[in-house]
Amino acid sequence: MKRLLGVALGILTAIGGFVDIGDLVTNAVVGSRFGLSLIWVVAVGVVGICVFANMSGRVAAASGRATFEVIRERLGPRAGLANLSASFLINLMTVTAEIGGIALALQLASSVNYLLWIPLAAVAVWLVIWRVKFSIMENVTGLLGLTLIVFAVALFLLKPDWGTLASQAIPAVPAEETGATYWYFAIALFGAAMTPYEVFFFSSGAVEEGWKIKDLIQSRINVLVGFPLGGLLSVAIAGCAAVVLLPAGISVTSLSQVILPVAEGAGKLGLAVVLLGIVAATFGAALETTLSSGYTLAQFFGWSWGKFRAPAKAARFHVSMIICLLVGIAVLATGVDPVLVTEYSVVFSAVALPLTYLPILIVANDPQYMGKHVNGRGVNVVAMVYLVVILVASLAAIPLMIVTGAGA
Amino acid sequence: MILGDLLGTPVHNDDGVWLGRVADARFVVDGAPHRLMADARLLGLVVSPHSWSSFMGYERNSLTQPWPLPKLLRWRHRGSFFVMWEDIEVLGDRSVRLRPGYTAYSPALDGNGQE
Repeated sequence: MKRLLGVALGILTAIGGFVDIGDLVTNAVVGSRFGLSLIWVVAVGVVGICVFANMSGRVAAASGRATFEVIRERLGPRAGLANLSASFLINLMTVTAEIGGIALALQLASSVNYLLWIPLAAVAVWLVIWRVKFSIMENVTGLLGLTLIVFAVALFLLKPDWGTLASQAIPAVPAEETGATYWYFAIALFGAAMTPYEVFFFSSGAVEEGWKIKDLIQSRINVLVGFPLGGLLSVAIAGCAAVVLLPAGISVTSLSQVILPVAEGAGKLGLAVVLLGIVAATFGAALETTLSSGYTLAQFFGWSWGKFRAPAKAARFHVSMIICLLVGIAVLATGVDPVLVTEYSVVFSAVALPLTYLPILIVANDPQYMGKHVNGRGVNVVAMVYLVVILVASLAAIPLMIVTGAGA
Repeated sequence: MILGDLLGTPVHNDDGVWLGRVADARFVVDGAPHRLMADARLLGLVVSPHSWSSFMGYERNSLTQPWPLPKLLRWRHRGSFFVMWEDIEVLGDRSVRLRPGYTAYSPALDGNGQE
């Protein structure tokens, strides 16, 4: 019974934890401009993150090493440092976007300017990282994030013509968009679903919680059930935008537009629930990304790390996270639009993805790390297909960003 | 000298013919024993004519998955060889010179990572 509860809890937190500011914004932007014609990318991204998280979780459980410990060992100090720099900067950008997301959601709830919420949000994130137990932190934000199911509820309440909506789901470039913008947003959506921090966090979390090989079955169920259901939430966000915003000719540029369809479909109550959900989801993701920045640095430089240690025992780990939060505050204090930061962060996530994916794939095949838990043949076939997909997306992202003027 | 600085250094034979760059340094742990581990001793250098990037672990012959990565990585390091420390004449900042009649060993390692 206890085991069953554990599995259920794991799945629920995986669903709630799947959606972050990147998924919210990108799915809504895509829905409002492309309808459901890019929804196949969510499926591609979800399968990809399942493969990646499953591999890195297995590496962590079998070898006791988290992602950046593996990268440092496999790539050596120099290539490893270049890798760390790129991954860390993009993760920092995601931290900034998530904190901005919390502040924007609180602004919508309170009518107090988001700039005033930013320091509060960052301090709250820091306090939780400093004081709250890892498992409680994970479960509370994950479960509260589940309230984003209101997007799916709103979609039903909007009573769309399901036939038309389904016919939109065929991959095709809408008449008013170009092929380049279509593929640019395909990469953005892919980057939003397969953000690298999810994997830093997932593998470090496995070490934090002391996973052993026997825990792998549960983690596999969490990932293989939770992430696809989280992907369905993403589809519901895009669907709401496709039903309400696309016909009205509104292309999403702010968080208020993201939740507009929920207000229309599910009224005031829905609005309250979606705001709670967005605050929980972005807050949870802010915790995960901030921890990820500490994890990556500490794992690379060999500092002691982890929330299971008292902060005094992992001083550099905690100090580096405080600095990251301060940098995030400073960037947002310039008045840069957090939604814009989010849109860039998901694309750069796609650019950086091969840097972490390839070392994990290699180590997952190395019996000296993995013993008999190396990748099976089937996993390797899928993993190699994804390596190609990830490489293509990574190489195409910046040229497409330039050609399309960042999707304008 | 920091060992990391040696990586990428051009390697010549005693006639000054360019052979490649230092891609790796190999150690054996057979020095004075300590509580955790014995001292490491530099056994020699791996010289690679095409790339001095990491072998990513594929110098071990036992690694064959996932196709086609091992093939690609080994192809990138084709023509690489291992020279013993005794065969190195000069270890400079800008270049490494090998002794005349040095022996070029295969850089491949067997299953346990032994020579």
